Amino acid sequence: MGKLPPAVRAAPFQVSSVLRNRPSLLPEQPEAETPQPRHFPKKFPGKKSPKTLTAQNPKLPAITFTSPNLSAAKSLFNSLISSTSAAADGLRFHNSLLQSYAATSTLDDSISLLKYMIKTHPTFSPDWSTYHVLLSQSCKSDDSSLSSVRKILDLMATDGFTPDKATTDIAIRTLCNNGRVDHAVELVKELCLKHSPPDSYTYNFLIKHLCRNRTLSTVNNFIKEMRECFEIKPDLIAYTILIDNVCNRKNLREATRLLQLLSEDGFKPDCYVYNTIMKGYCMLSQGSEVLWVYKKMKEEGVDPDLVTYNTLVFGLSKSGRVKEAKKFLGVMAEMGHFPDEVTYTSLMNGMCREGNALGALQLLEEMEAKGCSPNSCTYNTLLHGLCKAKLLDRAIELYSVMKASDMQLEPGSYGTVLRALCRNGRVAEAYEVFDYAVESKSLKDFAAYSTLETTLKWLKKAKEQGLAV
Amino acid sequence: MLPQRMKKAITENPKKLSNLIDLVNLPSTLREFLGQSQISRLGCFMRVWSYIKTNNLQDVNNKNVVNCDEKLKSILLGKPQVELAELPTLIKLHFPKEPK
Repeated sequence: MGKLPPAVRAAPFQVSSVLRNRPSLLPEQPEAETPQPRHFPKKFPGKKSPKTLTAQNPKLPAITFTSPNLSAAKSLFNSLISSTSAAADGLRFHNSLLQSYAATSTLDDSISLLKYMIKTHPTFSPDWSTYHVLLSQSCKSDDSSLSSVRKILDLMATDGFTPDKATTDIAIRTLCNNGRVDHAVELVKELCLKHSPPDSYTYNFLIKHLCRNRTLSTVNNFIKEMRECFEIKPDLIAYTILIDNVCNRKNLREATRLLQLLSEDGFKPDCYVYNTIMKGYCMLSQGSEVLWVYKKMKEEGVDPDLVTYNTLVFGLSKSGRVKEAKKFLGVMAEMGHFPDEVTYTSLMNGMCREGNALGALQLLEEMEAKGCSPNSCTYNTLLHGLCKAKLLDRAIELYSVMKASDMQLEPGSYGTVLRALCRNGRVAEAYEVFDYAVESKSLKDFAAYSTLETTLKWLKKAKEQGLAV
Repeated sequence: MLPQRMKKAITENPKKLSNLIDLVNLPSTLREFLGQSQISRLGCFMRVWSYIKTNNLQDVNNKNVVNCDEKLKSILLGKPQVELAELPTLIKLHFPKEPK
């Protein structure tokens, strides 16, 4: 249930996107983080996270209810009230008690306990956060219907705490995080009619969740319904999420359609939108389209940022246009974005694809000379490239450097090294690499082993055909 | 982190993974060697490989070859020497495919 600020949670959904094809490009990550600032500033002072946090992580003595029995809970409550001075702390104390009890007991009993608390301890006045404790608990249960959630919402309304935006947000997030996406959709529609429609954060969260777990048509239907029935329209961030989703599925046609919808809604694509689309073309290795997006940005007067340039260099390198990609190193520096390890790694990746592993190795020196330190992806890319270029000794040299600094191997380069070693009759060394991969936790041991096994099987075949030593 | 391809392979073919990590009742020869009655194929491989390492059974001149001691011989078809490359295959012999 981790109550991370949503912006932080937003990260993973993009991270993997660029990497999927080319695992050695992990540093592309910055792209994932860039949209954050847009969510962050307004969000943070937001009402719900602090509230639920205090409700759920009490700093007060850890009181845990172990028995779901209501009368036992009541007497424990009484003894706590009379014995601790902490009770004076009021709301937070009561909330944490309630939270603890709700976690072990049924919802009905928790409601009874709340009523009992109010009755026997008049100084305690519950507020929204108290009810949110119960609400999030009801969303966590694996009921087949929303009846318990509705019950709490109705209770809130009758007790004078009309569900507000925070309530909606908590309910939707908790439902989604507990795998009840369909319920979340159902509830959001209900809340639009009854209590409080979702704000853009909740809406975007739900969209993102739908994108991840449901088909494109489900997402589109939901958006359509929200627009037509409740006049809730996607904002620019929602569009970015949608575009990112279809780009990750390599459905660039839908992305173009969304781009049009977005301008029909009166939005102007910003840097993030363009970056996302560019990334989509990168995944398809369509160098010309990548360049086209860049030009379009320029035309529209959108300033490219570091992520744009990194994506651009990555895309061009990937589609075999290393020379052009190299030119952009100068261009980006002129614009005040200095090439970082992501840029260089992308470029090396491109050079390795061309079979120019030695050139890539030179670039490593160049980047270090410029004060940019390589990361593990850089090394993995080079390792992969050197093996592919049949420069096994250089590769092993590099591997020992990596080993000396406890760097992790990526599955791709791990497999390549194994194959190269086996092909050259150095099976024992391959076993050592296997050991290192397991030891350094680069791969799960079963994954490392499967690769080893497959490689050895392949070796046997290759030997029979006289292709290996 | 699993590579996408691997993830796909596993979700598409859970059996392949399960025959690697599921615990299996062992035949008596292996039971003696490992000192336990159940192990997965992966676990078995790891144990045998670490046995080779701790007892320095790799040939000094050619590390790709293992000189079996009596104990190891008993589980690897009685061969006096095996190649490292065939180790997984030899171990797999003890883990026959389960009849459907």
